[in-house]
Amino acid sequence: MQAIEVSHLIKKFGPLTALNDITFSVGEGETFGFLGPNGAGKTTTIRILTGISRPTSGTAIIFGNDIEHDTIAARQTMGIVSENSNVYDDLTAWQNMIFSAELYHVGRKEREKKTNELLMTFGLHERRNDKVHGFSKGMKRRLTLAMGLVNSPRLLFLDEPTSGLDVQSNLIIRDVVTELVSEGVTVFLTTHNIEEANVMCDRVAIINKGNIAAIDAPESLKKTIQSVQSIELSFNHSSIDQLEELRRLPMVNDAHKAGDKFKLYTEDPSEVIDAVMAYAHTHNLKVISITTLGPSLEDVFIRLTGLRRTGGAAHAID
Amino acid sequence: MPSIDHKGWTKRLSRELSAAWAIARKDMRIYYLKPNIIVSGILFPLFMFLAFAIGKNAPAGTLIPGLISITLLFSASSIEPVSIPIERRVKTFDRLLSAPISLHSLVAGESLSGFLYSLGIACLPLAVGVIIFSTPIVHVPVLVIAMILTSFCFATLGTLFAAYPTENVGEVMSMLNTVRLPLIFISGVFIPISTMPQIGQKIALISPLTYGNDMIEFAYTGKSLFSPLLDIVVLVIFIMIFQIAANHLYKKFNE
Ligand SMILES: Nc1ncnc2c1ncn2[C@@H]1O[C@H](COP(=O)(O)OP(=O)(O)OP(=O)(O)O)[C@@H](O)[C@H]1O
Ligand SMILES: [Mg+2]
Repeated sequence: MQAIEVSHLIKKFGPLTALNDITFSVGEGETFGFLGPNGAGKTTTIRILTGISRPTSGTAIIFGNDIEHDTIAARQTMGIVSENSNVYDDLTAWQNMIFSAELYHVGRKEREKKTNELLMTFGLHERRNDKVHGFSKGMKRRLTLAMGLVNSPRLLFLDEPTSGLDVQSNLIIRDVVTELVSEGVTVFLTTHNIEEANVMCDRVAIINKGNIAAIDAPESLKKTIQSVQSIELSFNHSSIDQLEELRRLPMVNDAHKAGDKFKLYTEDPSEVIDAVMAYAHTHNLKVISITTLGPSLEDVFIRLTGLRRTGGAAHAID
Repeated sequence: MPSIDHKGWTKRLSRELSAAWAIARKDMRIYYLKPNIIVSGILFPLFMFLAFAIGKNAPAGTLIPGLISITLLFSASSIEPVSIPIERRVKTFDRLLSAPISLHSLVAGESLSGFLYSLGIACLPLAVGVIIFSTPIVHVPVLVIAMILTSFCFATLGTLFAAYPTENVGEVMSMLNTVRLPLIFISGVFIPISTMPQIGQKIALISPLTYGNDMIEFAYTGKSLFSPLLDIVVLVIFIMIFQIAANHLYKKFNE
């Protein structure tokens, strides 16, 4: 049985299409990532899969239970960690955990045991009787995660679990997820961090503006991702001919000009830097600035869907 | 086998009830002492009442039933219109919306906290009547039932109004006040229904407070416009209507 089966999901908010006919499935025990920029539709997907929001059309089935029709059965096995750390500020960490367990019908003995364990794991046990009010952002994030695990879910939804956290909180969260995965828990996570998707996921779907561009193992996507690294540079004086010439340099996939800066796309930045230096030397130019840029999600998406960038906007090439 | 079905059903029910109770307890911990709830749930009915009582020449003790009625109305309907918009804003409401419980339990759990709050608060005027004015209570059981039903009815009304999908407490409160303020004047609390003009008497029939107040008056004086039995039936119908409407609206506004 698949953990998640999504078929032709469409979600409209008035005139805006947040999800445009997406289909995918996640196998049991798999760690599946949704990688996409702001506004891509990641949270909207999670809200539909957890039954908070209803799709305009299409279906979502969680371990054989349709989320719209067998909502309660589908939810019982889920843990949900939302993108905002939605904890109750006026309750203590302990009370937050217990309340969460009660909502999921965890028995008294079990919920106290689980709460102790999880608060320990997330380094919050000493602060268990303090109101969450005074917790730091990272502490609240960890508590949110602990609350999502209190019912020992088979399927865990993580909406941008580590965004905005320091390295240490980040590591705790990644360790916990790795541990869960080894116990067979299915994880659905969203992120806009390519590296994170790479490290944590078995498969990644790249989503933008409600469309899935590709679903693949991160290793395969990495190739595409690497092909859109870029170098940004400027010369002491620039002319429009330079763009064509730079584009013809070896290893440069594409180039464009923005202001006095050139942006060159490549899978091999160091090779291109050498070429640019040589070019500058032969043309008697000085390189004023040069920076390598990692791939931006937008760039990856454009590469995958065959969209081409012109100025700031992107449009399709037929 | 029917016995297994039966077992599954009772298990499900007990889970739903305990989740509803957990929601109510959470609200009690967080909201009972919030300043805006104290203002709209306790001070508001008190000042309202004083404004009327001062102008009247009736002995203070006879005003107790009316004071209990409006205290129930205001305190019961003051928790959810505050708590739910706040929880929408900080996104904790999503936890309830995504929990493995039915929407009915969510609505009932929310109402439960308003219900218990108002029963507690209404004990104040009750105690003042008994201790200070020695106001006699003729039918204690009727008073208990009246207070329970009235309180639950208005707690559910509060949850119903809080279904309006806003993160702004003021928005829900002002909508609620356009309904509950007029209720004081058309429900026989200060102006006896029998002395109201024809049209007023008709309008009084659609106010749940009319029936709650009628029953409370009966408990104190032995006299009522309708019979307590009819009051009970009508209040139960109002509760059901509010519960079903709330359930419907929470579903509908859920994007
Ligand atoms: N309740 C809503 N009403 C109207 N539009 C909405 C609503 N929720 C989401 N949207 C829109 O749907 C689109 C997708 O939003 P969503 O929150 O799913 O993006 P996301 O991928 O989670 O982005 P982020 O990385 O910023 O969290 C956005 O354009 C957003 O404005
Ligand atoms: Mg999001």
